[in-house]
Amino acid sequence: MLVSRQAFYLYSPSAVANRGSWTYLAPFRERNLTFTRKQLILSMDLLLPYIACLMLALFVYLALRPSPLTMRIGMIVAGVAAAGWLVGLVTGAVAESGDSTHDIFFLIFSLSAIGSAIRMVTHDRPIYCALHFVVVVIASAGLLLLLEAEFMAFALIIVYAGAILITYMFVLMLANQADNPDELSTQTTFDQLPREPASAVAVGFLMLCLVTGTVIRGSSSLPAPNNPTDQWNTLAHLQKQFESSVLDLDPSFMWPPVASDQGNLIRHDGDGAFIISSDGVRLLLDPELLPQNTQQVGWSLVNDYPVSLELAGVILLMAMFGAAVLARRSIELTDQEKRAAMSAHDAKISNERGTDS
Amino acid sequence: MMTEFGSSALAGYLIISGILFVIGMIGFFVRRNLIVMFLCTELMFQGAAIAFVAIGRYLFDYSGQVMVIFILTVAAAEAALALALVVLLHRQRNTLDAEVYTELAE
Repeated sequence: MLVSRQAFYLYSPSAVANRGSWTYLAPFRERNLTFTRKQLILSMDLLLPYIACLMLALFVYLALRPSPLTMRIGMIVAGVAAAGWLVGLVTGAVAESGDSTHDIFFLIFSLSAIGSAIRMVTHDRPIYCALHFVVVVIASAGLLLLLEAEFMAFALIIVYAGAILITYMFVLMLANQADNPDELSTQTTFDQLPREPASAVAVGFLMLCLVTGTVIRGSSSLPAPNNPTDQWNTLAHLQKQFESSVLDLDPSFMWPPVASDQGNLIRHDGDGAFIISSDGVRLLLDPELLPQNTQQVGWSLVNDYPVSLELAGVILLMAMFGAAVLARRSIELTDQEKRAAMSAHDAKISNERGTDS
Repeated sequence: MMTEFGSSALAGYLIISGILFVIGMIGFFVRRNLIVMFLCTELMFQGAAIAFVAIGRYLFDYSGQVMVIFILTVAAAEAALALALVVLLHRQRNTLDAEVYTELAE
């Protein structure tokens, strides 16, 4: 059975966007091969990732079902196997970078994120779901630290684990009730029964297979990264910091530096970034002078996305109004009830005066 | 100065973010508790945030991290509104079971 040309489009978003280029198909067309569907699946290096996805799906499905102890043990074994497989896969991908510390931390953070995410989805007590989500947030903040996004990592912990999760905990404790108020346990039956677990897991992991396939096969056709030297431009915009750091480096430097023909104050060559003073002195800039992560993010936020920043503020304001309006409840009292409340209040006040004197 | 970050390392982070997103989606379908359903959408936001930062890291572009700031904004707004709605619904029916509220559509 031949696979139509259209079927290939499924695997490469860039090919969908740019139908003329056939970027992904180039190696196949050169060899002038026609693939049957079976060959297509087996010939790819995707078999292992697909099996890992399937095992993870099986694990999530088993974890969703209330089960006796033996089943639970089998579930744990399946989960460990699936996780190990996945980890081997991911480390195989990461190992090329050659940084073993990075790999170990990546393993720890990603495993704890996935594990507590599954536990969060399957746990039958909502409070524990929220607590497991805190672990997910902390683990993904660790992943962001590995990605050198320090500001976002700590903002994630402060805003997510500190503010949003506390709101969830408040509402959970406010609203959670047992079926029978006399029971000590606060567990409810609807928390223990999953709704359509088989079809949900099937849909979810079909999507995961698609994502994994696209990521693994498409990572070779990614656009080229920006030039890292672009980061120096931010320093040229931060004038006071630029001037003071340059004068710290070389107090005899004649400020300001001369711009190049393209209008750049900071120029680059094989040695690195340098500036040229008005009297022709060439000063090589230390990479230590590059703006920190927080400065870069802040500059990108206000320079590239000013309108979005304003809109985010408006969204937060509207959410605050909406929450206040929604949660407000006016209490309708009849005249008789008002009079009763008034007289009870009066009686209480006079009673307090009586006890004082 | 940022160090090297190849496309294979990027693939690892993207797969992790995809797994988190999918687990959150499954949780949204499967759970019956309204509050836990909204918690699962927060898990999906987490997956998206990791993908944004990883791609930004690969491209040497700080826009990825700026997008995470907007994700935080939307998550906070969503939490405030959704939880206000949940409190409102809980007052009416005295339960958090999503099945009970299916009649609201009629």
